[in-house]
Amino acid sequence: MSVAEQPKNPTTSAPKKERTWEYALDNERLLGMTLLLPAVIYIILLVAVPFFLAIAYSFSDATIGDQSLDFVGLETYERVIKNPTFQTALYNNFRFTIIAQVLVTTLSIILALILAQDFRGKWLFRFLILLPWVTPIALGSVGWLYMLDTLYSPIDYVLREVGFLANVEGKGEFVRSLTNILQDIGIVEKDTALKLNCEMRGTREICFFNMQWLAQPDTALYSVIAVHVWRMLPLSTIIILAGLTAIPKDIKDAVAIDGVGPIREFFEVTLPLIAPITGIATLFGLIYTFTDVIVVAILTKGNPANETQVLPYWAYLKGIQGTNLSEGAAIALFMFPFLLVVAVITLTLISRREVT
Amino acid sequence: MTKRLTRRDFLKGSAALAAGALTFNKYDLMKVFASPSVQLSGQLRILQWSHFVPRYDTWFDQFATAWGEEVGVEVIVDHISLGDLPATAAAQINAGEGADLIEFLSPPSAFEQSVLNLKDVYEEAVNRFGEAVPLTVRSTYNPFTDFYYGFCHGWVPDPGNYRVSLWEAVDKPEGPSTWQDLIDYGGRIFAEQGVQLGIGMSNELDSNMAGRALLWSFGASVQDENGQVVINSPETLAAVEFMYELYNAAMTPEVFGWVAASNNQLLLAGQASYILNSISAYRTAQKDVPDVAADVSFTPALTGPDGLGFASAHVIPIYFIPKHAKNVDAAKEFILHLTANYNDAVLQSEMYNFPAFNSTAPDLFAEGGWLDEDPYESRPPDKLASLREAVNWSTNVGHPGNANPAIGEVFETFIIPNMFAQVAQGNKSPEEAVSEAEEQIIEIFDRWREAGLIE
Repeated sequence: MSVAEQPKNPTTSAPKKERTWEYALDNERLLGMTLLLPAVIYIILLVAVPFFLAIAYSFSDATIGDQSLDFVGLETYERVIKNPTFQTALYNNFRFTIIAQVLVTTLSIILALILAQDFRGKWLFRFLILLPWVTPIALGSVGWLYMLDTLYSPIDYVLREVGFLANVEGKGEFVRSLTNILQDIGIVEKDTALKLNCEMRGTREICFFNMQWLAQPDTALYSVIAVHVWRMLPLSTIIILAGLTAIPKDIKDAVAIDGVGPIREFFEVTLPLIAPITGIATLFGLIYTFTDVIVVAILTKGNPANETQVLPYWAYLKGIQGTNLSEGAAIALFMFPFLLVVAVITLTLISRREVT
Repeated sequence: MTKRLTRRDFLKGSAALAAGALTFNKYDLMKVFASPSVQLSGQLRILQWSHFVPRYDTWFDQFATAWGEEVGVEVIVDHISLGDLPATAAAQINAGEGADLIEFLSPPSAFEQSVLNLKDVYEEAVNRFGEAVPLTVRSTYNPFTDFYYGFCHGWVPDPGNYRVSLWEAVDKPEGPSTWQDLIDYGGRIFAEQGVQLGIGMSNELDSNMAGRALLWSFGASVQDENGQVVINSPETLAAVEFMYELYNAAMTPEVFGWVAASNNQLLLAGQASYILNSISAYRTAQKDVPDVAADVSFTPALTGPDGLGFASAHVIPIYFIPKHAKNVDAAKEFILHLTANYNDAVLQSEMYNFPAFNSTAPDLFAEGGWLDEDPYESRPPDKLASLREAVNWSTNVGHPGNANPAIGEVFETFIIPNMFAQVAQGNKSPEEAVSEAEEQIIEIFDRWREAGLIE
């Protein structure tokens, strides 16, 4: 029997392959790229492609019916900017976002400080605070739509019961205890409701059925902001709470030994220490609120008279419903510079935090 | 002894059929059938809205399946919400994949470059069923390009719905007949009985219809017959000034925040003396608040200062065939089959849908027919009788011209309701609001003119 005819040992070639594969797994560079690949593909397909397509559309005259890309330069942007509804939407984007985030940051610091304490029923309190975040925003907005309904608002029912709303004849028959207190201290006249639901038309006082929260410019604006705050508060609170619990115990002990009062401790110790993470929570909130379309789409649809219109919903109305794809894309792209700046600041803050 | 089937028996039988939901035998589903002109096969995918009347969808699905079985085509019907239709259709057209037949409830004029010309279907329909109701043709035909971008199989009237008892109390039991009546009598009802009326001025469908009805009745319009923008006119200013007065006399701010269901809800809650809507609000009231339903009656389009009176078709169901359709022949044959059986479509929609070809729904218009004796138990039975004349006071969204993409964009971005709202709220003068609206409308028209789709 010649050597060449000897049967091959089936196990002799396998270890070579295994070693190659093991070597591949040992190569951190290759492994890293492999693990990153799904995320990169995801970002390219679902973020980068639509983003660059939107840029292409915005410089074209594309419509829903004809999506060919005929270059028209800045013409679409000029049209978009001149539109008064766009101007209102742009202003509202900043207005809603800034007001909502000031409120969210302030309230979430207070809530986080409360949740950092030990008290009975803390778990229930934490659960209730987290609830808006785990509720899908569409569902939450529908809930608020009902709460603020023109006809059946439970909020208005309560307001009427405590005497803040007049009945439709304006007689204020529903006066209850809270109004009685206000009457006793002279804020409200005897036997009248506060009549938050009434207005003067010439010499005639008109009282509406309910507050009609979503139909009047001011209350519609407050309503949208309130829902944004309701939605963002849990996330921000949890992030800041994590920051609070991360404060080293020896610092707290040192503060206690020095006899520092709680207010001074908060402003001079706690707040500076949680400032970076509070900044991150705020920046996340800014991005979420600035780009949100659902709250306005469900709650107000931009009403009344586009007073609560925002860029994402206006882009949808123009681009999809109005079939003007190029203008819809251009409107949406106006959010990009703001988001870019916020994203850069957020990433910088996060990287600084990692270093320290 | 055999008993002869009377019309009354037939009507009762029809109502029982309609009410008993909801399996239909093949005879009921194929009352009129014409063999297709070509051999059909394969699959037909239809995308359309979830009808306001659920019974209609149940009937429609079985109707389409029965036709498919007869001609050898597998029919698949997808019902989605009205609000999702534009985005879904756009996505399908962009992808070049999807339904063979898509139904919109407004003219799909902007899709002209992506759909098939249905001129041949129209010609065949006219050949079989006679002339179509003009507003349905004006909602599907672009005279500038001589292109039928859709086929309208029906339309929905938009009458005034008023509460008889409230109007009786101000000595107007027959309800308003002019816009001025809304101020004179509606204002009195609001002042004396505390019940407002509701003409929407917000970003929603009904407000678009109401605003246009007011404009047209005052002799104003967005465009003229030739597709030229004529919104900035003394007639528009008069209409806007009128709306300001009407709001202050008889309405509350809720009309600025309305959604499509709001005027229905207001009527059902007993909080509206008059609304402009299809009969959907009334049908809902029949089921949910029969007392209110019994007190509701209908008026034709209100007339303006010069006696003109127009209302917009509330919605207008239009099929179109995208260029990507794989089964064009089946799609065209199905359109004709549905049109031929529109008598049943009207019945199953609870008289929400009216036919685009009057000859296809004889039981609706006949003396003693469904409008005179509502199979869905109106009290009195002829409550809907005034809708027999609805075709005379109803028109299309582009009135006095045809629908077109520019009119569509003006419609879908709610320029007209907001023009009225800004003045009624006291935020702008009529001149400012009209001028601002004109600026936006001209820009939209210019762009579509550059695209070659309007004159």
